[in-house]
Amino acid sequence: MGGSIPRRSRVSHVALGRADYGWTLDLQRTLHGRRRAGEIADVVLTAEHNPVMTFGRSGSRDHLLVPESELRREGIELFEVERGGDVTYHGPGQLVVYPIVDLRDHGRDIRRFIRCLEDAAIGTLGEIGIDAGRREGFPGVWVDRRKIASIGVYVRGWVSLHGLALNVAVNPAHFAMIRPCGLSVETVSIVDLIGRTVSLDRIRDLFLVQMDAAFGWEFEPTGLAEVLGMEGGG
Amino acid sequence: METHVEIRLPDLGDVQEVRVVGWLVAVGERVSEGDDLLEVETEKTTFVVPAPSSGRLVEVAVGEGETVERGGLLGRIDPPA
Repeated sequence: MGGSIPRRSRVSHVALGRADYGWTLDLQRTLHGRRRAGEIADVVLTAEHNPVMTFGRSGSRDHLLVPESELRREGIELFEVERGGDVTYHGPGQLVVYPIVDLRDHGRDIRRFIRCLEDAAIGTLGEIGIDAGRREGFPGVWVDRRKIASIGVYVRGWVSLHGLALNVAVNPAHFAMIRPCGLSVETVSIVDLIGRTVSLDRIRDLFLVQMDAAFGWEFEPTGLAEVLGMEGGG
Repeated sequence: METHVEIRLPDLGDVQEVRVVGWLVAVGERVSEGDDLLEVETEKTTFVVPAPSSGRLVEVAVGEGETVERGGLLGRIDPPA
């Protein structure tokens, strides 16, 4: 194998754009079931959500720092999800990336998968002049001691679900409502660090290039209907 | 007794230790090979451990919140005679 060029796997990318969290969760679970059944190939979804708080399998309501009534008043929905980790926030100004892939085709290694996701975020941030990295024992991506990307994944039948969230320009008041992942850490967005606006689409495009590099993939932009096999016969 | 099938933590790659999130099957219940048995967590990832064999779950060796190392024993299944 030494010196040979590794074969790149083709992976579909579906850009959902602004998408309701609950709707996207249902879609992910549907695609996950179909990937497990071998009915579809690997697919990566990207999206930007309405404001929600999600609790992972290690989630504690104690890490919600405001009453649920206040969240409802702010229009922030709550979800219990199957991913690992504690409470996290998703909302406008945040890029979420959901790889629904069979890890048996990608090294069958949970840690390597998480590291590749982190590498894609670190590489993306490097492209725009932000020096980000890992913190041993604290999955995610960090700038100094501040968290800029969160990770939470679910693997059943070796097929992944959920993924990574990168803060591009998130409302800091919303982050102040939780203790993210149960840690007393500060959260930061890209715009706080570069002092100018940057579009979510640009960050997404950079991220996909970095993801190609980290995983050895080659993305094919794909419509959702095409992935679901629902495209019209004409 | 020696006929019980050991449920061991599958090889998850470069992962040394996981924490048990919870069992999805109670001791005494019957499972089929490949059924979801329990969830473990590592690296912010929930991994669902499948039943290595059909039979009755007779022992849970590692409970909720406890940790288990690479290849560690999780429980035992009594396969059909």
